[in-house]
Amino acid sequence: MSASAHDHHDDHHHELPWWQKYVFSTDHKVIGIQYGITSGLFLLFGFFLMIVMRWSIAYPHEPLPGYLTWLFSENWEARWLADGKVTGETYNMFGAMHGTIMVFLGVVPLGFAAFGNYVTPLQIGAPDMAFPKLNMFSYWIYLVGGLVMCLSFFMESGAAKSGWTNYSPLAGYADRQIVNQLLAGQTQWLIGLVLLITSSLLGSVNFITTIINLRAKGLTWMRLPFFVWAMLVTGFLLLLAFPPLEAAGIMQLMDRMAGSSFFMPTGLYSKADGVLDISGSGSPLLYQHLFWFLGHPEVYVLLLPAIACVAEIIPCHSRKPLWGYKPMVWAVIVLGFLSFIVWAHHMYITGMGPVISTFFQTTTVLISVPSVILLTSLLISLWGGSIRFNMPMIWAAAFIPMFGIGGLTGLPLAFNLSDLHLHDTYYVIGHFHYVVAPGILFGLFAGIYHWYPKMTGRYMDNFLGHIHFWPSLVAMNFLFFPMLTQGMAGFHRRWYNGGDAYLEKGAEPVNVFGITVLEKISLNEVMTAAAFALAIFQLPFLINMFISYFWGKKVENDNPWDATTLEWATPTPPGHGNFTFEPAVYRGPYEYSRPDHAKDFYPQWEEPKRRQAASTKPEEIKAAAVEEKSES
Amino acid sequence: MEIPFVVNARKDTGLFNSKVAIWLFLASEVTLFGGLFSGYLFLRLYADYPWPERTLPVLPGLLNTFILIGSSVTVVFAWAALKMREWRKFQINMSITLVCAALFMILKSFEYSAKFSHQATRIYSENHSVQDFAILEGHLHKAKIGGDGQLQPAEKGEDGAFYSNRIIFSAQEVSFSLARPVYDGYLEQIIEQSQARGAQFQLAEAFETVTIQEDGTRPTATLIPAGAELSRDSLDNAESYFLHARSQDAKLRTKYLKASFAELRANGNDDPGWKIAESEEYQALQNRNAKLIKQRAYSPPGSITYTSGEKPVTLHFDPDAVVSRSADQIKLRDDTIIKGKMLESPQYLAVDGIDFRFTAQRAEEEGIEPARAIEGSWVLKQPQLKKYWDAHQEWLKALVEKLGNEGKGHVPTENELYRVNWDQMVAYHRAGFEDIYGKAKRGELDKPGWVEGFTGPSHGGQMGQAFPEVKVPREHIGFESTFTPKWNTYYAIYFTITGLHGLHVIGGMIVLGYYLFFGKKMYDSNPEWLANRVEVGGLFWHFVDLVWIFLFPILYLM
Repeated sequence: MSASAHDHHDDHHHELPWWQKYVFSTDHKVIGIQYGITSGLFLLFGFFLMIVMRWSIAYPHEPLPGYLTWLFSENWEARWLADGKVTGETYNMFGAMHGTIMVFLGVVPLGFAAFGNYVTPLQIGAPDMAFPKLNMFSYWIYLVGGLVMCLSFFMESGAAKSGWTNYSPLAGYADRQIVNQLLAGQTQWLIGLVLLITSSLLGSVNFITTIINLRAKGLTWMRLPFFVWAMLVTGFLLLLAFPPLEAAGIMQLMDRMAGSSFFMPTGLYSKADGVLDISGSGSPLLYQHLFWFLGHPEVYVLLLPAIACVAEIIPCHSRKPLWGYKPMVWAVIVLGFLSFIVWAHHMYITGMGPVISTFFQTTTVLISVPSVILLTSLLISLWGGSIRFNMPMIWAAAFIPMFGIGGLTGLPLAFNLSDLHLHDTYYVIGHFHYVVAPGILFGLFAGIYHWYPKMTGRYMDNFLGHIHFWPSLVAMNFLFFPMLTQGMAGFHRRWYNGGDAYLEKGAEPVNVFGITVLEKISLNEVMTAAAFALAIFQLPFLINMFISYFWGKKVENDNPWDATTLEWATPTPPGHGNFTFEPAVYRGPYEYSRPDHAKDFYPQWEEPKRRQAASTKPEEIKAAAVEEKSES
Repeated sequence: MEIPFVVNARKDTGLFNSKVAIWLFLASEVTLFGGLFSGYLFLRLYADYPWPERTLPVLPGLLNTFILIGSSVTVVFAWAALKMREWRKFQINMSITLVCAALFMILKSFEYSAKFSHQATRIYSENHSVQDFAILEGHLHKAKIGGDGQLQPAEKGEDGAFYSNRIIFSAQEVSFSLARPVYDGYLEQIIEQSQARGAQFQLAEAFETVTIQEDGTRPTATLIPAGAELSRDSLDNAESYFLHARSQDAKLRTKYLKASFAELRANGNDDPGWKIAESEEYQALQNRNAKLIKQRAYSPPGSITYTSGEKPVTLHFDPDAVVSRSADQIKLRDDTIIKGKMLESPQYLAVDGIDFRFTAQRAEEEGIEPARAIEGSWVLKQPQLKKYWDAHQEWLKALVEKLGNEGKGHVPTENELYRVNWDQMVAYHRAGFEDIYGKAKRGELDKPGWVEGFTGPSHGGQMGQAFPEVKVPREHIGFESTFTPKWNTYYAIYFTITGLHGLHVIGGMIVLGYYLFFGKKMYDSNPEWLANRVEVGGLFWHFVDLVWIFLFPILYLM
């Protein structure tokens, strides 16, 4: 890009009205921030739903306190609460929407879309995404899809109530009493889902194209930061795994709107309606296959952006190259591939048959190999580093053990023998919440603290950061660890009243793990208290985000962390078009503490000295040759 | 700012941006249609009913296949013309492509509309060994409500006529649920139909509202007087009072429940909630609350009832609107309850297909001789249908002999054994039902050819006379639908995949049409860029073609 072209563009840029600059923007950074704020709001909403659910679990006989019901209208309360208590129906609605919102509207858009959008083009030295307009449409389609899903809370039917997996035939039957199916929560969920899938398809096409075609000069595949690799693999997962779910969504939509029986078996009977007026002969198992064909890769879509952030932060803040960069790259590729052939481990109790179960058990155990390579490499990267315990690093460091617990508790679920006992219990909930909440969210928090200075030109406040971090870490563990023991005691994941209805049925036999529900039921209140604490201690973070923007400590230069990757070569915050020079890359992404270099970091974009002053003296030519060798 | 590699390829990858993107997009399309195709496989392998084989007219599908292949060729010519900077040639080829696409959609729409108007009814007979399960196909005739309030056949285009597939009910009393919004469509039907019959529904008893006074008295006021006419407004008034009263009551009950817990905790009860809920003191508090609530609550009525006066009014509803029905009451989907008397609600069906395959399959599953199960079917008790079945047996006899004579031990297919197709019905009718065996042997049966039956049976003209009318009583209708996704999983997957494919065709037409009609400006300024775009659009078009090439055999031929 010539200097004059750039100037010309800047002129043009200033002419943009505010709504084109900040609302209908095509700039990947603005879109990234839009994604970040929107998904953050969805996360808070999903969190709120969870707090209501946790109240119902711990205090099922008491009305919701006033500070949880101010959001509801009187009419809504009269319809959905029984004497102020959460009903089973309402709990199911909140549960289904909590899962949906957290996965599809919260964590994926935050990890992949927000971080991916903001950081990826900067790290590969691109002026923007390959298709800026398409990028803008991705965001708006996502927003509309999310709003369509959430608006159904206010409809006659309420929002979807069939779990975030939306299994048929329940999901095909629910809300049948609504005449205009377009206004039924269960249908709106599907319409919202089809929109979200469309959005992420456009996004993933855009991401992959950008990474393949817009890399800066010299940025070869093995010089790509790990973050970019992770985004590339995530993009492929979204690209190839989401469409079968879109197919399933369309088929379920047909079941609801056109009366077909894709997933409705013959002779389906309901107490209210008798034998349903449908043709039958559909396959509920088909839905589960199509759902989990997405569902499992989706887990890695959630995870990889978080690992990507941590993999950037750990080398930078421990001043050491990423240990095992190449194995990590291969691991993430293998992980992406394997994630397509493990899906049916979610379906061991559907009666698929032992042969298929064994196949999926084997692939599931295999996939732990690349996962462990990733986590171990991150851990070893810390070894012997001069670690700066600043905010990004603390979150990144906490990610490792927390995600470790999440991953290791998954092993008993991979084996179908033990899964038969643990399926649909709180153990499963504890396992994947350990992965997602203290795992993935901690990784993403680390990312926010790490890139905030680039986005705003100011650091986030350290003190508030600590008030955010430590209580969150404690509360997360008090919230999720008891789930594992409760699950082993046999707590079912969909008990809306925390298990006391089960106790009322009388004496219970001791289960296979030798624990009873009665022994563990008092944990409900501990966990609910932890959930409240977790909510309160997110306030420092929100305050921090806000006040640091205006009053935070200003960054000293464009590269405040002394990092090596290309996003730190841009002005702060980067303008439209990102780079003020044409970026070129001369070395790998994590050249920290090189013994042959004066400073403890050697940025990718810094030209080697020999090119600046070519020498004729033999000893200098030799030194330059050595340098060149070490760089390749 | 300029995005690189929009027009020219990047050297190391050899690709310009949109080419990378289209290949990625097509990869995702492959998994999208892959999901649907595996759905087809699943549904077909696990179908528990006779899968309809070769049920669609092949000729339109075949024509469509060639049309799409042709357009795939011309789109390449169009791109090549652009590369050689021959605008005129580009225009011609791209126009042919678009015309082909339009032809494809026109043929498709003929095919679809034939399905939408074609009725199928599965017969149910309570005392039959396998509940009958014979299937009649055909066209519904129109009917109307006569002066006596009963259903009677109507002429085409007659006032107030409707397709004879409605639940007919003589209504005396209509109760609307106030807890759920009354569906506009149903309310309008009730009002319009009663007006058309010169009657109206009036409020049975005055709808009263309550105000709760501080001193515990409950003065009432009339919101809607008795005898008020049924209208949206009066329902809305009653509903908004109900909602107001319900939320006040809920607030009251919540308040008392909160207070009892507060009281128990203040008394030092630290038990967990589930223990408290079982305790005696809690129960005592709840009993006290119940009394207080009874005094102070509005307790509004949950429904509002209108009557038709002395004379009942005949109403008719779509079967889908009626969720349950008995001799004296029906319930609509929005919880409206209508009391009165169920009337005869038959279908008048012009039958163009008789199918016993499902009966035979069920009989075999039960270990019954299929022929015996078919013999007992309700269908064969209708003389105008029996005639066709008897003719078919003669034709079968001739067929079996013919297959046997060929010496290879061939046997008739399930289709031939148990199904009288529309073209066979026409042939038997044209033969006057006489000497079918002999005519079949001699090959003299006059079946409609490919052109005459381009999109299936025609119910007008001479051919229509071959299709006898049958009155199917409601109690013999086990399941009914037009040939839409509801009828069975075959039509469900057929409409879903071809519908989605059709949307792709339309999408492709929009994109390619845009290049054709609005591409000149870009051609003049940056022809290479336009060529790139057409190349990408063409790749998409090939994909659309390819999908059809898979669809045609699995839906039309197999």
